[in-house]
Amino acid sequence: MTTVASAPAAPSVSAVRVPVWAWALLAFAVFALYFVSQENGALLSAPAAQMLHELTHDARHALGVPCH
Amino acid sequence: MGLSFGSVLRRGVLAGMLAGLAAAVVIWLVVEPVIRRALVIEDRRGMHGGQAAGLPMHGGEEPLVSRAAQVVGGAVTAVIVGVAVGVVFAVVFARLRDRLPGSGDFGRALVLAAIGFAAVSLLPALKIPANPPAVGDPSTVGRRTMLYAVTLLLGVAIAVVVPALDRRLAGRVMAPSTRWALDVVAVVLLVGLVMAFVPGTPDQVPADVPADLVWDFRLASLAQLAALWLTLGLTFGLLLERAGAARNDDVRADTGAPVSA
Repeated sequence: MTTVASAPAAPSVSAVRVPVWAWALLAFAVFALYFVSQENGALLSAPAAQMLHELTHDARHALGVPCH
Repeated sequence: MGLSFGSVLRRGVLAGMLAGLAAAVVIWLVVEPVIRRALVIEDRRGMHGGQAAGLPMHGGEEPLVSRAAQVVGGAVTAVIVGVAVGVVFAVVFARLRDRLPGSGDFGRALVLAAIGFAAVSLLPALKIPANPPAVGDPSTVGRRTMLYAVTLLLGVAIAVVVPALDRRLAGRVMAPSTRWALDVVAVVLLVGLVMAFVPGTPDQVPADVPADLVWDFRLASLAQLAALWLTLGLTFGLLLERAGAARNDDVRADTGAPVSA
């Protein structure tokens, strides 16, 4: 699995051109991950954050992120 | 003409959704039964005034959200997480496609999924292991979150540094087996450093939480994370491979070997 990969001179597959907006999309996806897994009041009001915490509670535990 | 980014992204979103669904199924079948066992312990503490004794408790007397809503909410969250991970996966895959090892897009997708699982799921799980309800001390959650995030970022850093080292080594003439061995040594060394020098969780598992409950939960959590990454890699790879076969371009241009892992 390594030998093919590493011949640097001959890229056997064409690279995919990644447009600039894709990086903004990536940042948004990372933000969404933060929001559902970690948001506890840094951005939301306390009651809204509490609600979000309770709704995402089981998945947060299951994903292994520190929950409470 | 190569693969367009849009077609990669669409497959990432679809594969991510399926990965989230797979994770939700594993949560429902494997994780929830363990959470229920942990909630029994929390309830028992509530009856015996455990909150006064300083043991971790959940919220107040009136639950803000019912258990049923929490179970459904957990499943929905898993799907959202799957889609978001799928988007990140697609962008990274597109950027690195010509550099990823593996024969064919299927092999490359599996390699990237394995690296993703190891770097952002397995390494943090080993350093700051998952805990069921009734274990975490709310007063240390900030510190635990910080340590978790640091470990995750170090995992990503290792996943970036080791391939860079590999390319360095490729610059000198060296047998592939030697280079492969040095890569493995580098991974072991760096992971060892992270495990040795990043501080562990400050929490102690309370005495009324049985050890096998904690073990079962950590195993269930890892099973769920593995299901997410495995489904993502498999479906993304299959979807892309089929697209390639349909367009019939870069599959033939590839190194030739059929996917046989």
